[in-house]
Amino acid sequence: MKKIKYLILAISMTVATSCGDEFLNPLPDTVVSLDSYFASDEDVLSGIYGIYDALQGTSEATETNIGRANRGVQFEHLLTEHRTDNTRNATLEGSKSDFHRYVVEAVNVESEDYYQSMYEVIFRANNILNYIEIANESNRASYTAEAKFLRAYAYFKLVRLFGDVPLVTSVIDPGNTEALFTRSPQSEIYAQIIVDLQEAVDVLDNSSKSRASKAAAQGILAKVYLSQATPNYTGAEALCEAIIASNEFDLMDDFYDVFYDELNSEIIFAIQYLEGNALESQGFSAEFTSSTRAGRDDGQNIVNANLKADFDAFGGNRTAVSITGVVGEDVLEDDENEVIKFLPTGSNINSAPVSYGVGQQAGNDYIALRYADVLLMHVEATMAGGPATVDPDAIASFQLVRDRAGLTASVATITKQDLLTERRVELAFENQRYFDLIRFGVFDEVLSAHSDEMGYLYDTRNARLLPIPQRERNLSKGLLTQNPGY
Amino acid sequence: MKNKIDMFSKITRLLLSIAAVSFMVSCELRPELPETGSVPDLTPPSADFSFIPTAEDFRVISFTNLSVEATNYVWDFGTDGVACEMVDGVLVCGTESTSIAEAPFAKFAAGEGSYTVKLTALDANDASNTMEIVVDVVDKFVPLPVTVINGDFEDGSNDWKISFSNGWNNNGFESSSDGSFTKYDGTDNGGKTRGAKWNATRSVGSLASNNTRVAYQSIVVSPTDDQRTVKYILEFEYAIKDDPANDPPEGRIVIADVVSGHYTDGWEAYQQTDRGGGTSLLHVEVSEAKGKGNFTTVQKEFTTNESGLVSLMFSAITPVDVYVDNVKVYPAN
Repeated sequence: MKKIKYLILAISMTVATSCGDEFLNPLPDTVVSLDSYFASDEDVLSGIYGIYDALQGTSEATETNIGRANRGVQFEHLLTEHRTDNTRNATLEGSKSDFHRYVVEAVNVESEDYYQSMYEVIFRANNILNYIEIANESNRASYTAEAKFLRAYAYFKLVRLFGDVPLVTSVIDPGNTEALFTRSPQSEIYAQIIVDLQEAVDVLDNSSKSRASKAAAQGILAKVYLSQATPNYTGAEALCEAIIASNEFDLMDDFYDVFYDELNSEIIFAIQYLEGNALESQGFSAEFTSSTRAGRDDGQNIVNANLKADFDAFGGNRTAVSITGVVGEDVLEDDENEVIKFLPTGSNINSAPVSYGVGQQAGNDYIALRYADVLLMHVEATMAGGPATVDPDAIASFQLVRDRAGLTASVATITKQDLLTERRVELAFENQRYFDLIRFGVFDEVLSAHSDEMGYLYDTRNARLLPIPQRERNLSKGLLTQNPGY
Repeated sequence: MKNKIDMFSKITRLLLSIAAVSFMVSCELRPELPETGSVPDLTPPSADFSFIPTAEDFRVISFTNLSVEATNYVWDFGTDGVACEMVDGVLVCGTESTSIAEAPFAKFAAGEGSYTVKLTALDANDASNTMEIVVDVVDKFVPLPVTVINGDFEDGSNDWKISFSNGWNNNGFESSSDGSFTKYDGTDNGGKTRGAKWNATRSVGSLASNNTRVAYQSIVVSPTDDQRTVKYILEFEYAIKDDPANDPPEGRIVIADVVSGHYTDGWEAYQQTDRGGGTSLLHVEVSEAKGKGNFTTVQKEFTTNESGLVSLMFSAITPVDVYVDNVKVYPAN
């Protein structure tokens, strides 16, 4: 694993030094200039590591100016958790504080950075597919499947956050504006995602958790099936059952270990970071620390009182692992608590003053998919859009998650609301709630009530989708249309 | 003192009236011709929109305004549509068939059909453009399939048991090898399958005792709401022995109930049934005594409740053996 990280390091450095003329010759995010070449199997493999590097992003500790670097998934909580009733920004300063109040504009830099990051992933994946002939013949199928998995992963994020987006599946000349800026209908994006993930399911094995695997592709595909306009519940159910039946994954006994014992038996796919190394660490752990308690940063993902209440009622032993305000002397107000699922190594939140250890150079992995999510998706697929389920297999999956949380009373019926609440407290701060609310068909209902309570201006026209970045639209010379309400 | 104030107010009034007059004069003198450098608006508004049914109600359509160069909008939903708006996350539908919102909702209460919607887009110069689109309202509702677990009773009384706080027996029924000759998939087994059995000691009604058994299973169906009425069929086979015996006042009956809700106490569930003092969603009593092994198929329709959580219950009042087999629940039509 260490070796991979050095390779990623090497690639990120070449990328960092190769974009000096960006201001003179601005390129759309859907294309990236190609000034490297692949000469051997090793080069292709390092190129694949480079796709993960695009997901990983460059942290603030390396490059403070986000005009010069993409943050990968490190801003994702702003685009997802902040736009639900889960969390908010502690302050009202800057564009990072626009998400939780539903006032994101088309020039928002974090939203644009995420869009850019996902297209960087897509570009690098397409580039690998372009040079796949250079790889050893025995590796071509798995390299191809891995690149397609990552491309699908990025498109699945884009289609849910931005709606119709340009569908680019090959390396395209930057002058081909029509291909780069024509938004494809969501149904076409989903069709491509499904084809790519099915190939990954067929070809890959489960030999890695930090790289694409069969189970990761099965799990993401299950979520894709549940998210489509017309959900494929039986397909999702079969995929979840295949992951369960593989017996390769298991819930950790202690909820704490899910987050602080990296690549544990519950993790299906994680994006890795390396602590104490500016180039390979992530910044989100530090961003989650509150300015009111001597945290280094703004205090993002500050827990809303409404989520604290759900934790108190339904969290079980997950609460003390997920948020502050439960253990220790320093009990905060109900709407001031911090996320503690991703504390930087060396943190001591019960000391005075509070210590956040390695702070901005945190190595906590970003958990993309874990077994508990699959178990709860299994329940969702079995419920099949109905109001509840009494299916014994679904109840068994649900009970596993509940039992681990210390909530061992046996469940006879799982209602849709039960499942939504369970997902909220189990997967809080793992960027799931936004997508859950959409899948469960209660997005407007829950969030406009939340906005009312918090005094935010909620607009049903634009709340579900982020704006297409204005920079892209400018480069498209009018080809790229904007989402409604922006 | 008084004079001073008067003087001051007179001057004030004078000044105010001069100001007012000069303002009026300047208004009248304002030219109506375009100012220097202004150009005519060569891009008149163009009306366009798209629509999508809301997730909550297929009859409520969400409109997306795709008009360009426009600032004001007039929507006309015709005689069958009323404008709705989202208030605190809840759709509120009025009685007006028009709306001036940029992106309104409209409800076509009559349900499935084609409705013409007209959007007029206007700009600040009152230039306008109108677009008419036929909106097809389609109900894509598919009722949930229901799996009755161990509906063929091959697995004894598993999944049919519930405990009773009033002291009745919790084993559901007596497992029997004298079930129907028909398998669950409808094919002929060529011999008996397993089934459920009740007799005098397991009966409810006038024969109820601590040995009484009632079968219970909770299921989930698609709910009935203000959009649509959802109906399902409960199907089962039964047989009643025709041997002579002293019949209780109720005769020899097999009882099937569908009740609203899920329960952990069988007695509470039983009290929801017609015979238990409540109101079943479906209450069936059948009494054709054709003898052991001679099964009759029953199919009865019921309307679902608002939650979609319902329970199936089977019981009997009989001096002789009665049998139930192959219990199924499926959407009507």
